[in-house]
Amino acid sequence: MIQTNIMIYGTEENRRETECARFVLNYLEKHGAQARVTLNKGCINSICILNGKTDRLQMSNDRALTIQVYYKNRYGNFSTNRLEKDELEKFADNALCATMFVEEDLARALPERELYYRGDNPDLGQSDSSIFTITDERKKEIAVEVCSSMEGNRYLVSAESEYNNYLDYQYIIDSQGFEAHSVQTDFDVCAQCSVRNGGDARYESYWYESAMHFNELDYKRCGIVALERGIAKFNPVKARSGKYNMIIENCCASRVVSPIINGLNGSLIQQKNSFLAGSLGKRVFGENVTFKDQPHRYGMAGSRYFDSEGIATKEMTFVENGIINNYFIDSYYSRKLNMPVTAESPSVPELVCCNKSEGEFQGTAELMREMDSGILVTGFNGGNCNGATGDFSYGIEGFRFRGGKIIHPVREMNITGNVVSLWNNLALAGKDPQKWAKWQIPSLAFENINFNGK
Amino acid sequence: MQESLASFFGVTCSQLQKLISIAMEEGGEYADIFFEHTTVNELSLRDNRINRAGSHTDYGVGIRVIQGEHTGYAYSEITAMPQMEKAARFAAKIASSGRTLSMPSAVRKISGNDFYPMKRDLESFGIGEKLPFLELLDKRIFELERRCTKVRAAISDSLSKIMFFNSLGEFYTDIRPLVSVMGSATFEQNGRLESAGASKSFRAGAEILNDNLIEELASTIAAKGAFLFEARQPVGGEMPVVMAAGSSGILLHEAVGHAFEADFVRKGTSIFSDRLGMQVCDNSITIVDDATLTSNRGSLNYDDEGIPGQKTALVEKGRLNSFLHDRISAKYYNTAPTGNGRRESFRYMPIPRMRATYMEGGEFSREEIIAGVRKGIYATDFSNGQVQIGAGDFSFYVKSGYMIENGKLAAPVKDINIIGNGPQALGEISMVGNDSMIDNSTWTCGKGQYCPVSCGMPTVLVRHLIVGGLA
Repeated sequence: MIQTNIMIYGTEENRRETECARFVLNYLEKHGAQARVTLNKGCINSICILNGKTDRLQMSNDRALTIQVYYKNRYGNFSTNRLEKDELEKFADNALCATMFVEEDLARALPERELYYRGDNPDLGQSDSSIFTITDERKKEIAVEVCSSMEGNRYLVSAESEYNNYLDYQYIIDSQGFEAHSVQTDFDVCAQCSVRNGGDARYESYWYESAMHFNELDYKRCGIVALERGIAKFNPVKARSGKYNMIIENCCASRVVSPIINGLNGSLIQQKNSFLAGSLGKRVFGENVTFKDQPHRYGMAGSRYFDSEGIATKEMTFVENGIINNYFIDSYYSRKLNMPVTAESPSVPELVCCNKSEGEFQGTAELMREMDSGILVTGFNGGNCNGATGDFSYGIEGFRFRGGKIIHPVREMNITGNVVSLWNNLALAGKDPQKWAKWQIPSLAFENINFNGK
Repeated sequence: MQESLASFFGVTCSQLQKLISIAMEEGGEYADIFFEHTTVNELSLRDNRINRAGSHTDYGVGIRVIQGEHTGYAYSEITAMPQMEKAARFAAKIASSGRTLSMPSAVRKISGNDFYPMKRDLESFGIGEKLPFLELLDKRIFELERRCTKVRAAISDSLSKIMFFNSLGEFYTDIRPLVSVMGSATFEQNGRLESAGASKSFRAGAEILNDNLIEELASTIAAKGAFLFEARQPVGGEMPVVMAAGSSGILLHEAVGHAFEADFVRKGTSIFSDRLGMQVCDNSITIVDDATLTSNRGSLNYDDEGIPGQKTALVEKGRLNSFLHDRISAKYYNTAPTGNGRRESFRYMPIPRMRATYMEGGEFSREEIIAGVRKGIYATDFSNGQVQIGAGDFSFYVKSGYMIENGKLAAPVKDINIIGNGPQALGEISMVGNDSMIDNSTWTCGKGQYCPVSCGMPTVLVRHLIVGGLA
């Protein structure tokens, strides 16, 4: 089965490498084991321009063979990038010996066959073969153009731009006859700058654009946006501690979603190490909070027909009107928890928010207007979330706003609370998830959030 | 050793010289070749049984060319001459001076440092020998804390074989061991869950794993778990913070260490860029970055560009004494490299990175420092941190600690982020304890690529920081 219609690696080299995967699988089967063998290949080209000059050129080609060995309900996970036949035989042999030391666990086995992805569904638009035709000169031209757009500004200390393109190929086979290839391409541009307006402090900023198809890479304003965001940080003020409305910009909103995604992970649920353990079917978050996973959206980063076990992905609403509908359960934790397999992890999770106010809220400008006053969070500076309790404390950067308008940047502030109460205070969500992001999370507005400042 | 590793990587001295010549043929000023073979072995325990084994091998060579401050870099996972020549030709493209420098004909072997002696070879350290340590850790945590419901534990041991050659004719080899043992547990009381963990990591042989080390870990994890049931998130705001000795070295790593890395300084993006030689804090403070501590996770015999491991005084008696240099920044500042050119693996070019960063001890006892605070926080256990190099704002996450009230430890606290500004926080350290201690946990620094590091600190008082907490 092929997930994409572009067989980029249909070459002699690819044939040899997939033969290596087959060789290892056969070797393990001959010695009484079952296995999944995954060949990963990657190719990265990168050029970095610093203050108008080429600062770094980098080329890399990676490959790795990973084997997951199942021997009499014992499990081991091994990888190597040495694909010579004699090395592979030693590798497989050592892997099998190591797995024999592991204790028996009846949950350790390949997935039930009926869960596998079968058939050649339509292309998901995950790759662009033009990656082979973009010249080094064109890559440099893009990076230079982005860097130039920041140069000449009177506040600029340093301007840096980077163009990268990635090609990732994956081939999976296992002892139950599953076999599949997938290819993904990615093109991205990043602009970074450091700006200063007197004093010792230099304010850093960056902006990043990405696309899976080269002709969709919208890089022209990258440098300008980075520069504008850096200059906007001048003269920050330490705000007072207190309860504020909080708007989180789309570019960093996934930070407050990740504790939920992590908390639904089958491994943490089984280990009772999640604040969402025991919450299936219960309303935990606000009724306006719904999260869906949509793994088959054409051209979206993260879309896929099968996961790393070969299990077919499907659409799933894992939080519906605040109620926990599903955990993320792979085949192992399905057996451990005696629950059905859902998905090992979300592919393209999306927030669907039923706003508390009527109106069209596209992005942060409209959200600030509606919330009137509070703090707009444009980035996070450290912090963490205790996965067992949901308690969090994060450093933030951003702006105080009043009357729907930004009044000044803030500095040295934390937000502190609990994930459950945070998501019961969601008021509004924008319609502006970054189109290239794997997690489709728009700008978010919360009420009554605890900020720590001076 | 040199000859055996050359043979292991399948190259001869003349082939190394040929590769350097190719790398320099566009006019590069300097080139180096970094061979690496790393094997990481893992063994994990969950649900009272050894449930997973693993082993991961990474092999390849990275070729770098420097022209001025600019770098060309390529790597190959195959160490046959055609693939390495291709990588050398790509890296050479960074240069365009047209001048071809001649390669010294003599090869100079550099050797002598031995900061991580191994009494017991890791390559012969079998799974059967590791199993009992994980089983003991599991058993002891359950015995020590009755509220424990789940234990997760793992042992990871890795061995990196390194061979290096450069256009100055310098050649070295190194064998870098790293042994880590990690444990975490879930505790439950009346339906309330808490989770605690701890780890130990050393550049050493298998001899470092012993029952005493496991007992120390088990006691730490059980005590942390019990503590968390008593602790709450405190009322936050600006207040004095006493940093406990040991893992609070993360303050140095985040608040000042990154800003002393000379690549940021060279680009003018560090808040300390213009402050070399200036007094930046109280003269009772000396901060070092050290590659020479025996068996320390951050130690290096030689860095990844052939500079001997050394101890570098960053701040000496309150004065900013040195930045952390790689070859590029050292040349830019016309100073000697400090041995901080490090890389995650052959896949990455070296950049200035920390090693073991710590503050030397002062004159006060821990009790005297706590007694000097009317209302504040005593922070004892830390996880992660982050910094904005240019603005200097840093943060670190406190897993647990205590309130201080009227000079005495009071209510236990947990899960708070502390945020401050690096130069200001350094200037606000007003008392330094006499109990400097290195923390040997599995600290890993991320700067686009990961490197093992460690940190240390005596008890110190920072007069003002913003502490996360409830209203």
